[in-house]
Formats: sequence, structure tokens, C-alpha cells
Amino acid sequence: MFHYRPARHRGVRAALAGGAVMLAFAGVSVSGAQAQSSSAGVGVSSGATCVNPRPGHENLSGMVIGFSQSENEQNPFRAAETESVRSTAKSVGVRRLLYTNANSNQAKQVADIENMISQGAKAIIVAPLNATGLQPALEQAAQAHVPVVTIDRATAGTPCRDFITFMGSDFRKQGERAAQAMVDATNGTANIVEIQGAYGNVVEAQRSEGFAAGLKGHPGLKLLASQSGNWSATDAQHVMEQLLLAHPDINALYTHADVMTLGAIRAITQSGRRPGHDIRIVSIDGTRAIVQMIASDQVQAAIETNPRLGPAAFDALKSWFNGTPVPQTIITNDALYTRANAATSIASGAAY
Amino acid sequence: MSATLPASPRMPRPPPAAHRGAERRQRLFAVIQARGATVVLIVAALVAGLIFPAFLKPENIEDLTTAASFLGLVTLGQTFVIIMGGFDLSVGSMIGLGTVLAAYAAPYGVLAAFGAPLAAGALVGLVNGLLIVKARMAPFIVTLAALLALKGLAIVLAGESLIIADPGLFGRSANGALFGVGNLTIILLAAYAVAALVLNRTAYGSAVFATGGNEDAARMLGVAVDRTKLLTYMLSGTMAGLSGALLAAHLSSGISSAGNGYELQSIAAAVIGGVLLTGGVGTLLGALSGVLLLGMIENIINQIGSLSAAFQGLASGVFLLVAVLVQSGLTRQRSS
Repeated sequence: MFHYRPARHRGVRAALAGGAVMLAFAGVSVSGAQAQSSSAGVGVSSGATCVNPRPGHENLSGMVIGFSQSENEQNPFRAAETESVRSTAKSVGVRRLLYTNANSNQAKQVADIENMISQGAKAIIVAPLNATGLQPALEQAAQAHVPVVTIDRATAGTPCRDFITFMGSDFRKQGERAAQAMVDATNGTANIVEIQGAYGNVVEAQRSEGFAAGLKGHPGLKLLASQSGNWSATDAQHVMEQLLLAHPDINALYTHADVMTLGAIRAITQSGRRPGHDIRIVSIDGTRAIVQMIASDQVQAAIETNPRLGPAAFDALKSWFNGTPVPQTIITNDALYTRANAATSIASGAAY
Repeated sequence: MSATLPASPRMPRPPPAAHRGAERRQRLFAVIQARGATVVLIVAALVAGLIFPAFLKPENIEDLTTAASFLGLVTLGQTFVIIMGGFDLSVGSMIGLGTVLAAYAAPYGVLAAFGAPLAAGALVGLVNGLLIVKARMAPFIVTLAALLALKGLAIVLAGESLIIADPGLFGRSANGALFGVGNLTIILLAAYAVAALVLNRTAYGSAVFATGGNEDAARMLGVAVDRTKLLTYMLSGTMAGLSGALLAAHLSSGISSAGNGYELQSIAAAVIGGVLLTGGVGTLLGALSGVLLLGMIENIINQIGSLSAAFQGLASGVFLLVAVLVQSGLTRQRSS
């Protein structure tokens, strides 16, 4: 019998990410108030592990290793992530890093991974484009005994067979932490609007849910409206213009991504309001542009999405080849940027 | 544009020229346009094989044709539409919706998994065609509206994605192989072979060329222009549905964003393959060569293994530009 998992509603969609994806996002706690981003990117790991049944103790240096990126690097997160994998590959001394980019095309990501296997990659790091859709490529990797490490987005498959680990942010937790940051930024009273990522996206769903959950118990925080800004600065600007007209009493903004925050701030400024003062702002990602605005008090806080996954990914591969256990889920330490640490984070290069 | 029905639909026949040199040049342009992409494809493949020893390995060629098959099937429909003098921008979203419908229908068997997206594609094509023919709306606007609406529908139905937990026979329809050749490759080649027969050997095919060559003249000559348009948009929608069904089988998933951008890539592939954007001229072999050239660019960039995603766009853009330059040269030749 066939089974499929429709994800028509938010809750079901979250279940898709949490359950059907068969990865234990078991509510692992992230050190919330930590100011400094861990540059190694390793965070809290879950209990379940994968162990290589036939460890050959191969050395990563001298190995061909593949990295399949999902989207192009105009997005600062993608750029920082690719750079992290590339520079770690160099420092580990791999013979060759095969890099491909699926350009937001699921069929191409499958072909990219299959290309890498036929080009002799001995291990593959994948940033999956979607929560599902890599099955044929993962199967081919498993048959060729090529371990796969998935980073930043979880994808469907059986741990230890289709991939040895997933490492990345807990998007629901990010939403909850954004709500807490909003409480701190507004002393618990505000009329909030939310600009979400593209509808239908698992990341969007979890950041929305986490935020809504985090607002519970704070009756002074009212969520007036939630609309999609499509992960785009221009869309977010238009949405914010409309929201400001529809709800002139807005005094707080939560957006799912820094790029949209930048667009929304343009709309806020054009309406004659002062970002950070008339409208308190909490964002997600922790890119350099937004952390600079935090330092200059135009934005109150940003929850980081840590892109520096290279070192942890190569560590996981090293453990796999040596036969030591690899945690199935590794949740990254995501920093919280506020006025207290923004300037130092810019100076140290922690904000990407 | 020639006002008469093209005697041979495969290649534009130049009108009698006063000047022999001009005539020869014109013939040359016509040959370049019809066969240029195929020649470039073969030469580029041989050169790539010399530089990257892995490139001409059968597995890699198979990877390439498999990955290109989804774009290939929609480009087939798009080629008919462009030759007929139209555009279909709805095909990319139709693929995404097709994968989602296939994922919903998969539990009810292989026939349902193919039937649902194919029927939906035909229906979308019919609606597009009716709006263009009866309401006299521009194909660009009608199919752009369909692009937006179908994408929205796919997201409403599926969110980001649906998993097909046990794809079974449906999965094997795309991922299986016959005599060592992957099913997707076989389906792609078979579809183009059949389509070439339909385009070049049937009354419908002649009507497609006639409509695109000069719609008013075709009408006066008694060609059923409206019916041809309806059928052609339905063909395009159905091919997008088929592409979506096979993609869902290949990925064991319905993905609402699948096929994003294929509306423009399919037009680019057809144009690179020598299909004239102004209608009336084009070959399926050329269009298929255009598809495989775009696929080859992706594959070679993977073989290099260090180039950023931007190079893919850059290389595809250059190919497209060269193709359009040749075309505009040809058009100038013909009109002079």
C-alpha cells in the first residue's frame, strides 16, 4: 500500500519536517542567550547515532569529496555556507572538492549528486533544496557506500542509510527565540506584524509556528497580521507598505529573514516612521547588514542562522570513516544578536 | 515572412532570389538555423569528451539525458506552440502542479498517478487555448496568469512538498531501465520521434506551420486555425503534465516549486535549437538539441566542479544570444 503525507496545514507541514522526514528534532535546547556565535558551528546533538559498519579508517586528505549546494550564492547565507565548506575542505586537505549548485531545481540537485558519485566522490555534503525529493540520489549514494551529510535543511530518508547526519538550525526554536527577543524589545506590549517566508516552505512554517508559540503567555503582544514576503526584499517592502496603511498602529515587526527586513525597513522609513524606534524590529539570520543596524539601534535583535557548517560536516565524515559514532541530528549554536554584542560581532567577523 | 504555405515544413524554402550569392547565403543560414544546434551539440560533446574523460562515459551521458528529460518533454510542447506562433508560460507551474497531483494519486495506482497530471495538463491547455482563441487574449497574458494560478494551487494542495512513501511501479516507470537504457531517456527519445512524425507528416502538423507562418493566409486557405491552436495548447499542457508525473516518479515526491523557470528555459532551448520566435519555422531535432545543449552546460560545469552557479546562467545566456543572432541574420536575409 502506498502512503503519502499531505501537508496542507501548518501543523501537518511541521509534522512533515519533524516526523515524516524521520529526523528527530526532539526539541533539543539551544543555549539561548549566548552572545557569541561558535565559529565551529557544532552545537547540541541528539542521542541517536550512526556508526559505520565497515570502517576503513580512510583519511579525508587525498579524498574526492562532493558538495551539493541548493540555491545560488546571492543569498548571504548560501555564500557563507559554501565558503565554510570550501575553506574547511582546503584546511582538511581533500584531494578535490567537487562543487555543484542546483540553482533551486530539485531535479538538478538529484543529477548533481549522481554526477558526483560517477566522478568518484567518496563522501558527499548536501544542502537539500526541499524536505523531500532526493531519494534516487541518496539511494545511489547508499549503494555506492558513499556517506552523505545533510546540512541546514533536513530531507526525507532513513538515517544511517540515506545519510549519516543532519546538522543545522532548529527553525521552530528560532521562531520561539524571536518571540522572546520581541518580549525583551517591547517590554511585553506591542502591536506586531509578521512578514513570513514563501508560503509552503517548511522553514517558513516552523518560524511562524515557533513565533506564535513563543507569544503565548504574553497577552500584551498582539499579532495583527502575518503575510508572506516570499524571502524577497522587494516583496517584503510592498507587503510592509500595505500593512502600514492597513494597521497604522503597528509598532513592532518580526520577519523570517534579514533580506526581507531590509525591504520592510525601506517601507517604514518611507512612511516617515523611524525603524527601531517607532517600530521595534526582530529578524532572523544575523547577516552583517542587519547586525550593523542592530549596532546603530535601527533593529532590536536578530536570531542567527549559523551557516558555518563546514567544520562540523567534515568532522562527521572523519568520525564515520573511523568508525566512531556520528550523532544523527546536530543542532547548531545560533547566536542572539542584540545591541549588547552587535558591534563586537561585526568586528570579530561573526556576523556574515 | 513568406505568405504561402511552406512546401517543406522541415526547412524554410527561400523565395526565388534575384541574386545567386544572396541565395546561397540564405540557404546557408537556413541550414545553420535548422541543423546548427545539432552540429554544435555533437562538436561540443566530442570536445568535452577530450577534456573531461568522464564526460562521454555511458553513465554520464545517461545522467545528462535523464536530467534533461523533464525540460525536454515540456520543450517538445513549447516547440509546437512557438512554431504555431504562440507562447506557453504556464508549463513550469504545470510541472509543479503535475508532481503534486501525481503524489496525491500515486496511492491509487500507476494509471491514476499518470492520469491525474495528464488530464490536468490537458485541461489547463484547453482553458489557455479557449481564452486565446475565443476571448482573443494575448497568449503571453493568458499563460502568465495560468503560471501564477497553477503555482498557487500547487502550494495550496501540497505546501512545499509531499512524499510518496512507496512509489513501487510508479517509481520504476521513471527510474527503471530497458536493455540497459534508462526509461526516462527512452521516453524522451520516443516522444520526440513521434512528435516529429506528427509535425512533419500529418495535416495537423502542416496546420501548425501554416498558422505560425501567416495566420490570416492560413485562414483564407481553409486551415482550421482555431482548432489547431486549441489542440496545440492542449498538447503543451499535457506534455507539462507528463513531465510532472515523471518527475514525481523520479523524485518519489510532489514538489510545488518543481519546474520553476522551465517556461523560459523551454523557450530558450527551442530558440537555441533554431525555432523562430516569430513562428512558422522550426524542427524538433533542433529543439531536442537545444535541450541537450542546456543540459550539457550544466553537466560540464559539474565536471569542472568548482564554478559557481552564475556560470551556468552565463553560458546558457551566451548560447541563447548566439542562436538569436543567427536567427535575426536569417530573418534579415529573408526579408531583403
